[in-house]
This record gives sequence, C-alpha cells and structure tokens, in this order.
Amino acid sequence: MKKYVLKRIIISILTLLAILLILFLMLEFMPGSPFNDEKLTPDQVALLNSRYGLDKPILVRFLNYIKNMITGDFGVSYNISKDTPISTLLQTRLLISIRIGGQAILIGTIVGLVLGIIAALKHNTIWDTMTTVISVIGVSLPSYVFALVLAYILAFKLALFPLLYSTSTPFQSSVLPTIALCMFTIATIARFTRTEMLEVLGSDYMLLAESKGVYGMHLIIRHQLRNALIPIITVLAPLVVGLMTGSLVIEKIFSIPGIGSLLVTAIQSNDYNVIITLSFIFSAMYIGIMLIVDILYGVIDPRIRLAKEDNHE
Amino acid sequence: MKKVKKILSFVIIMAVSVTLIACGGNSTKSQVGSNDSKTAENKTNSDNILKVQSDAEVSSMDPQIATDGSSFEAISAITEGLYSKDSSGTPILAMAKDVTKSEDGLTYTFILRDAKWSNGTSVTAKDFVFGWKRLVNPKTASEYSFIAGIAGIKNADAIAAGKISVDELGIKAIDDKTLEVKLDNPVPYFESLMSFPSFSPVNEEFYNKCGDKFASTADNILSNGPFKVSSYQPAATTVTLEKNPEYWDASSVKLDGITYQVIKESQQAILAYKNGDVDIAKLSGEQVEQFKNDSEFVNTLSGFLWYISPNQKVKGLENINLRKALALSYDKSAIVNNVLKDGSIEANFAIPKSLAIGPDRKDYRETTDSYLKTDKSKALEYWQKAKAELGVDTVKYKLLVDDTESAQNVAQFIQAEIQTTLPGVKIELEVMPKKNRSKKLLDGDFELGLTRWGPDYTDPMTYLDMWVTNNSNNYGFWSNSEYDKIIESSKKGNIALDAKARWESLKKAEGIVMDQAVIFPIYQKGDAVLIKSNIKGVEFKVASSTIYKNVTKN
Repeated sequence: MKKYVLKRIIISILTLLAILLILFLMLEFMPGSPFNDEKLTPDQVALLNSRYGLDKPILVRFLNYIKNMITGDFGVSYNISKDTPISTLLQTRLLISIRIGGQAILIGTIVGLVLGIIAALKHNTIWDTMTTVISVIGVSLPSYVFALVLAYILAFKLALFPLLYSTSTPFQSSVLPTIALCMFTIATIARFTRTEMLEVLGSDYMLLAESKGVYGMHLIIRHQLRNALIPIITVLAPLVVGLMTGSLVIEKIFSIPGIGSLLVTAIQSNDYNVIITLSFIFSAMYIGIMLIVDILYGVIDPRIRLAKEDNHE
Repeated sequence: MKKVKKILSFVIIMAVSVTLIACGGNSTKSQVGSNDSKTAENKTNSDNILKVQSDAEVSSMDPQIATDGSSFEAISAITEGLYSKDSSGTPILAMAKDVTKSEDGLTYTFILRDAKWSNGTSVTAKDFVFGWKRLVNPKTASEYSFIAGIAGIKNADAIAAGKISVDELGIKAIDDKTLEVKLDNPVPYFESLMSFPSFSPVNEEFYNKCGDKFASTADNILSNGPFKVSSYQPAATTVTLEKNPEYWDASSVKLDGITYQVIKESQQAILAYKNGDVDIAKLSGEQVEQFKNDSEFVNTLSGFLWYISPNQKVKGLENINLRKALALSYDKSAIVNNVLKDGSIEANFAIPKSLAIGPDRKDYRETTDSYLKTDKSKALEYWQKAKAELGVDTVKYKLLVDDTESAQNVAQFIQAEIQTTLPGVKIELEVMPKKNRSKKLLDGDFELGLTRWGPDYTDPMTYLDMWVTNNSNNYGFWSNSEYDKIIESSKKGNIALDAKARWESLKKAEGIVMDQAVIFPIYQKGDAVLIKSNIKGVEFKVASSTIYKNVTKN
C-alpha cells in the first residue's frame, strides 16, 4: 500500500509539471501579450517585456518559473494588480474560495447522501419522486441561475442574507454562494446514491444479511451504504472540479473576492502569472482529490486494495 | 468491529479532509453573532458615505503605475495634482495656487499652495519632481509614461525610451514651494493634462519607507486629496475611502467617505441599488429600457469613440469609394437607439462631442461640420463606382470584434446592414478577447477592425495625433502628407501658439480624415447611470475620472 501511494504521489507531481508546461505553451501561442494596450508604443512594450523577463525564450522562462516556484515565488501580477506578488494576491482570496467550496462539497455530499438514502429506502413513494425532482432540477439548472434566484428572493426580497459578499460578515455572505454551488453536488450525489443503494438492495448478500437477522441502521449503513459508496466516491472528484468551474461564475455574481473571479479577470487581461498560478492550484486540487479518492477506495473496499497491491508489487 | 472501525476512519478522513481545507475561514465563524449587530450599525452610520458601484476592480493605487478607469477614479479622489477640474471640465488650480507662463509657452513656474499630505507633512515641489521623474523613469516601466511626452515636458520621451538620464527631465524644484516646468514645445492643453493622475506628486521619504509595499495597502498610501484610503487590498472587490482632514480644502468636502463596490453582474447591481447597498449604479443596455423614465436615471456621455478601422493594405480597401460606401451604409441611429440604448450618440465625426472647448469658449463640435452621415443610396453609388474601379463584383472582408456582448451586437447589426445596403459585399465576423483584438490591430493583421479610442486630454489632438503617418494607432496605414504637415505645425510649428489658427487647422485636419474615410465612425459611447435622488454634485467628465469632491448626500 505504501509503495502504491508513493508511486501515485510521484506520478501526480510529474502530471503537475506537465500541466505547467502545457499552460506555458498555451499562453505562448495565445495571441496578444499582457502589454498590448493600444496606447503603448513599441519601445515601451519592449521595455515592459524586458522588465518582466518576457523577452527570454520560453524554455528559459519555464525553468526560471519552476525554480522560483519551488522557493514559493509565483511572480507578480502584470495587469490585475500591478506588480503585486501573486502570493499576496492569493493570501486572502484562496481562503475565501476554499471556504465556500469546502462548505459546498461538505453540505452537498451530506444532503445528497441523505436524500439518496431516503429515496432508495422509500422507493416509489412520494419521497422518492420528490428527490428525483430535486435531482433533475439540480442537474439541469446551471448554478448561476440558482445564484440569481437566491439573490433575488432570499437577499433582495426577504433580506435574510447579504446580496453581496462582505468581508465583515464572511459567514452570512457565504450562505447563498454555498447553496448555489452545492445544488449540483446534491443532485448528482442523490441520484447516484439512490441508484447504487437500490442495486445493492437487490443483491444476494443483502438477502443473506437480512436473513441472518441484521436490520435497521446497521443493515443500511454497514451493508448497503458501504457497498454503494464506491461509485459515489468516484463521482466526487469530477464534482469538485464542477465546483471550481462553478465558482468562477458564482464569485462574479456575489462579488466574492476569491480565486474564481480572479481567474476570469486574469484570462481577460492576459495576466500570465495569475493564470498559471491559479490553473496550477486548480490542477493540484483536482489531482490531490483523485489521489485521496484512490486511497479511499482501498480503505472502503479491501478487494480493490488487494488487487492494487498485487499489481504493483 | 474491525469493519466498523474502518467505516469510522473513512468518515473521519472525509470530514477532516473537507474541514481542514475549510478551516482557514473558521476562526471568523465565532464572530458571527457580533457581526450581526455591526452590520446594523454600519447601515445607520454609513449615511454620509457615498457608495459607488464599479464594474472593475481597482488594479493599482499607485498614480504612476495605474492604467485603468477604476484605478484613476479612486486615485483622483485621494490625490490632487497641480490642477483639478471644475464641473464644466475647465482646469482650475489645485496644489498650485499661482502660475506664471513664459511668453514662448515653454516655461511654467508654479507656486504651490500650503497643502499637507495625510500624514501631516507638507506637499512640496520636490514631491512633484520625484513623482514625475518616477513616471518617465524606464525603471518604473510605467505604461502611462507617454503622457509626459504628450504634455511636452522637456526630454520626457527620450528619457522614457532610455536614451538619456532621468535627471534631464524638464522639472525643477526651485525651493519648497516653487516648481519650474520646461517644455519641448508649447502645449495648449498642458493645464488640462495636469489634473491627470499620472502627474500626481509622490513623497519621496514616504515612498522609500514603504519600499515594495508602496500603494499596496491603506497604510502605504499617502493622500493629498479630498479623501484618504481607509481600506484597500490589491484587486479588492471593495475599497473604502474616508474624508481627509489634512486636505487644504477640507471644509468644502461634505461627504464622510466613499465606498467602491465592485459588482460585475448587472442584475445584482440593480438589486444592490434598490437595496441601498450602492448609491450609484451603472446600467447595461437591456436595463435602460426599464429605467429610462425613472427620475433617478441619468445619461452621461463618455469620450469614447467607437469606429471601424479599414486596413488600407488590404486589397480593395485602399479604394476611397469602397471605404466611403462602407462608411455610409449602416444606420447609426438604429445602432444607438435600438441596439445599444445606453445613451450613446451617433458619431458623424472623428472628434467626440463635449471633449474640447476652443478659444471661442465653445465646444469643438458646435462649430464644425458633421461627416459621413448614414446615406444608403449614396453608399450604393460609391459602391457602383468602386466596383468599376476595382473591376470586381463582390468583395469579402473579415471584421475583427471584441468578445463583449455590446461590441458583438453592434458588429452583427453592421454586418447585416452592409450586406443589405451593398449587394455583393460580404462581411464575416471574427470575435476575440479585447487584448488579442488590439494586438492584431497593432500588428496590422486584420481587414476591418471594430475598435474604440478614449481621450487622454481635452483637446482634439488626442484623436487627430493618431492618424499621422506611422503612428502605431494608425491601424489602417493611411498616410497623407498634407495631414501630417497640419498636425506637425499645430504641435510645434508657427501656429502652435496661435490658439485660433490652431483650432481652425485642427478642424481642417478632421475634415481630411473624414473625407478620406480613414475611419468609419459609429457612435460616441454614453453611459446610463442610476443615482439616488439624495445625492447631488457628482461630476462626470468626458475625458477624465468622475469627481466626487463636491458630492452631498442628504
């Protein structure tokens, strides 16, 4: 198991490096540069490029970037916040985004699981239908529609929550974005849980467990849910990615000073270092979650763990 | 039991991994209760604070580094240059209390007023010398260093290009309160330019003390204007300013402060306005319909001119009849009234309205002709001529467009109009982000380009200078020696000092640009804004930032 984890970690690091290189190449081939405002003279553009080292060949820049990155230096912003080190720019923003994203995934998973379990247990009843309806709405409506509806009803009409993010009330401000973000997660998890639980319900070992006299919560959690969890965990990783992309829009709507809204602005203004750093963070999160999911498989299902160990040893 | 443990461990891992990443914000959760009452208090205390919605973040509070409208607006509220502008846009003395101008128009001597920075130290001539040298110093790499050249300050361009030492700049502190500025050539709009944020003074001692952190947090920003910064973070979504008690004219500042709130989503901006979260909100085109009869609805004109630049190196577009045919073929009034609906006006000119006031004290546009007015039948005549001259029946061009909604709507409308008015002309749209679009224009890698130009100062030259031969913003490679001569002589030649003759020759220059259809003007951008009825005294400017100094809130 240890060896397997180690190998996975090394692969993850290599993947990240490859992503970094691809990002560099993509930005290189993208038309335009951070400094092509109409009003700049060619002299000035040359001056700016040399000041930020953009006149060097791409390979040199790439190696420099990695060298600096290891020491924790992600460069400075060119446009969004001139000459501000990216680390300063991210300091407060990263926490805000992670907080809202974390809340969304936590609430989304828990509510999704509960809904899914209820739907499966009360199969073909009104509860089941309601869950299905919620799921369909959650999956089909984009999160920004939820965000706008929530903002209108809960913030504007009923004034229960602030309309816009305020750093003086971080918790209240985060409620609406969290709900808007987690709808998709709730819907997906509920759907998967319901299907998997139903499938497990019809399996032989459930029949056996029941006939052995196992019943109630014990039966549901230990036998039914546990076996249903594997596929659910598999969808969790892509769901986290969904949250990240969702945050780009949600942060814009609620004026949240997070990294999602920052990325959008960065892309629009060709702010290379910000784009690279944020894309890198998003990739690292995704790869990290994949890693955790892979390890979790082993924890939940010994068969997977054993099979992997056989393969790798 | 073992299995139960494993399930437990799984649940714990899940919970821990999720809460761990979320823990950064947890410390704030405990304060939730107290925050509730705070917001309520804020609402009552914030009565005399002007809350402004902005659609972009303030990207820099450093006057010599900032380049965008949001930043300039905030900087204008906290710093003051030698001049500022009154409500009609005329330059008025600010940090300077007296000025003498030499007869040849090349030397200005300013006597500074007894003003203080927000930390109590005096604003001196040295602060201007330091700020301006910083602006042109290649080490600063300021994107706006060119403005010092436009102001004509001696040696500014050569210093910015790294050719001579920064000490050669034509600015000198004679004593603490006397500042001497030397120009390369007389610049009629010099005083108007002096309110531009790039020319703000910077206190050297304070600057050195801040080091890298200069202008990056409230503590590292010094103010000599009506307001000072109370909270700011790089690219923050809110910036708060408070009244600066050290400001020389503090008694005429009625507001206690200003809050800038970034809201990019237009529906949210309206809700925040109705809610009272903001006092001033911008409207998008679709929203204008809904609010145009509202008593709080205000239309303001900005100095931005939107036009199509034809690349004259592209086959066919060197033909003046084809250019004229294209320029006359689309219905501009429909564009402003049905497509944009935001208070924009038809542009039948190359110099926007309300931009510049002439020696006759009249707006430039009042005494000039209009050009290239939509005329579809004439357009067709020009097209027939062009076909004969070019020996073709059909032409096809790509129109380069920004990826913003309004630019695309306008482009699609123009595309349809041209194709119906001029049978045989086909227009294709090529959409891309603005940065990429402007790069292509600068490189001459385009056929037709939909673009805009914003003025840097209140003189027609801010536009006309663009179309001289080899100017990098003369995207279409048009070249006309007569035109070049007129511009040259109004800048440095014999008429540079004769305000009336200069004004007339600028009109002539505009006439040439329009007769040659060097650009196809479309519209002058208007902004639709909602302002609460208890707010008075907001001064919107065509060619510079909105001024909030004289705002009152009841």
